[in-house]
Amino acid sequence: MVKEIIVIGAGLAGLTCSVKSASKNMHVKLFSPAHSERSQSVMAMGGINAALNTKGEDDSVNEHYTDTINAGQHINNHNAVEKLTNDAPEIIDWLSKLGTSFTRDDDGNVDVRYFGGQKKMRTAYAGARTGKQILTAINTECRKWEYKDKIKRYIGWRFLSLILDDNKVCRGVVMINENTEEIRDFYADFVVIASGGMNKVFGKISGSLHNDGFVSGKLLHQGIELANMEMIQYHPTTIETPVKRMLITEAARGEGGRLYTLRNGEKWYFMEEWYPEQGALMPRDVVSRSIYRVCHEDNMGIDGENKVYLDLTHLDEKTVKTKLDEVYDVCMNYLNLDPTREPIPVYPGVHYFMGGIRTDDAHKTNIRNLFAIGECSSQYHGANRLGGNSLLGAIHGGWVVADQLEEISCENNSSEEYEILNYEYEAYENWKELQKEANNISSYEIEEEIANIMNRTMGIYRTESELKEGLNKLDSLETIHVNSHGCYYDYILLKSLTDIAKAMLSSALARKESRGAHQRLDYPETNEEYLKTTVISFDNDELKITFNDTEERMSW
Amino acid sequence: MESITVIIKTSKGMKEYTYEGNLNIPVTTLLERINVKHDIKIHYSSSCLQGLCGSCSMIINGLPKLACKTFVNEEATTKKMHKITIEPLSKFHVVKDLVVDRTSMFENIKNSRQWLEEESRINQDNLEFEYEASQCLMCGCCLEACPNYTGEDNYYGAILPVTSSKISKQESDMDKLKFLKENYSNHFYNDCVKSLACENVCPMNIQTQRAISIMNRHSIWKFHKLLKKITE
Repeated sequence: MVKEIIVIGAGLAGLTCSVKSASKNMHVKLFSPAHSERSQSVMAMGGINAALNTKGEDDSVNEHYTDTINAGQHINNHNAVEKLTNDAPEIIDWLSKLGTSFTRDDDGNVDVRYFGGQKKMRTAYAGARTGKQILTAINTECRKWEYKDKIKRYIGWRFLSLILDDNKVCRGVVMINENTEEIRDFYADFVVIASGGMNKVFGKISGSLHNDGFVSGKLLHQGIELANMEMIQYHPTTIETPVKRMLITEAARGEGGRLYTLRNGEKWYFMEEWYPEQGALMPRDVVSRSIYRVCHEDNMGIDGENKVYLDLTHLDEKTVKTKLDEVYDVCMNYLNLDPTREPIPVYPGVHYFMGGIRTDDAHKTNIRNLFAIGECSSQYHGANRLGGNSLLGAIHGGWVVADQLEEISCENNSSEEYEILNYEYEAYENWKELQKEANNISSYEIEEEIANIMNRTMGIYRTESELKEGLNKLDSLETIHVNSHGCYYDYILLKSLTDIAKAMLSSALARKESRGAHQRLDYPETNEEYLKTTVISFDNDELKITFNDTEERMSW
Repeated sequence: MESITVIIKTSKGMKEYTYEGNLNIPVTTLLERINVKHDIKIHYSSSCLQGLCGSCSMIINGLPKLACKTFVNEEATTKKMHKITIEPLSKFHVVKDLVVDRTSMFENIKNSRQWLEEESRINQDNLEFEYEASQCLMCGCCLEACPNYTGEDNYYGAILPVTSSKISKQESDMDKLKFLKENYSNHFYNDCVKSLACENVCPMNIQTQRAISIMNRHSIWKFHKLLKKITE
């Protein structure tokens, strides 16, 4: 019997899972709001980590493992990280065979460069557009399986609900076509969620608008457990543009870029003074906190503002224009600044969610037959992710799940009728009625309010009083009647965002310590008691938090 | 504070909006601000907002461009006096307002079997070109600008030589290479009039002419040599 798989999300994680599953003779339905070229994966710039050990530095998988765990402050799932780092060299080989145009060294090996939190050159890259180059290669492979009818794409479809049977086993999904607003049910033996990060709760962040967090919020309501929701990565070097805060890749520092501010008119390389060994290439949480300290405690931001300089002017112009081509383009297009001649003004910005759908080292969720992979799932990165481990984690997730789908036996699908489809129809009709009301509040206002609350309370440093105030404000948003300008998705998104925001604030309140990306001014010390995964779920409409063992496996 | 007139032409007709504020913003940000200010929803596609994903291609003052990389001040004050016109791409089915369905383009590439049968060959000399060709956003700007592409016949436009040239350099399966050549002749070579419009509008500055010449060398010139030999 050919197994039927549903994959939600067509970025690198979803694509890898689909391609690998198809090659193992399974049938895949691949859903996404847009084509893979539009996914956030194409925005990953700097590279992908693997201990290839081609630079005579005696690098090893073991060291990659240790660096990942240390950066994650020991609340990563250790078993998952072991698999991740072990499989990394094989993944690079696979990508290379698929035709990824990696930058190569003089010996023809995939080149590797320095990245934050790692003392060895371990980050393979393709210029400064690594994500795009990898995606093009896997997408090319995906075409083959589409042509052979092993993968069927559904473009323009958004997730609405899981279809769960009486035993809480996942049987399929209810989806909505964003263009036609058709609501439909789809069935499969296994469902894989690859819906990306929860960007929209913060308004606009460095990543894609597609990764809004809607799926994670909906799943929370259907009994999914989320993990480490307080762990939100502030990337140290983002630039302010009229569009949003845009990212300057860590590769800029990996290639030798330096961070400084002005002290008595002199350049002060604060990272090199504070951390002589690794300087600006400390893990991201450390660099972000250091920039925060310069600007807020030492009051030495450039021109008295919240910014320091990232300096690439001493680098060879060719290095900047080829190995950091994307950095050059972004600065020229959006800052009108030539980074080979002027330093780049930077400040930390929200970039990545280490937390998300709770999964074990096999990427299983707490719901039977449901997996989660890529940024939406939480297990590899603990309290802080290493640069270069996100592309790796996304691809590895898809890889690991496809392997298991081949192994796990699936029971016959029952021909039960499920209520959930009718529930979604009704919800849609209710919305139509509600939109007829006058004086509804604009969805844009609510979105902005949620983002304001999150940016105020979930910054680099947090306090109990601010978090509680944030939660109260989120509560008050729930009763508002919303005008979503004729767009159903925009309407249901708000409910999901509010729930996700609450889960983040509640998790941040519960973790009474400071660790990695989670820093509490009222609990500044790291506390051994919290060497655990923060787990949050709905229990009778109330959010319930527990602290679980980081290596805990799901029961199925 | 400067003020401009924004004209949005959709299948529903033409609407004018006045925008006041900083003009040093891309067109995506302009659309977002119009939506918020007027509390409406003009639908448009966008994802990365920084020229990496190809979602937001549309016609701006008559030319296909990525809205997120096209700045209002350059469009509205230097080219047209304080006026900017925005329309959906015309060669694709319009879904809603400025949103188009580009499925046909993806189908053409899929049906052209643009994938590798064997493991990729690695040749350092080709890397730079392969990297450039892999940057294709599949945004559709080149097809919009092309005088030959209609979307309704067998002509697939510049995206075909761009993807094919990379795959031809990486592929080692002889049957596949033969197929790529024939496919290129049937769906590109016979109909392209070399207007070079594709290269002019490509937001990634991909040298489409280089891709075309690589495919010509693979596919066409060898036939000519053969013909020459026969006639001699």
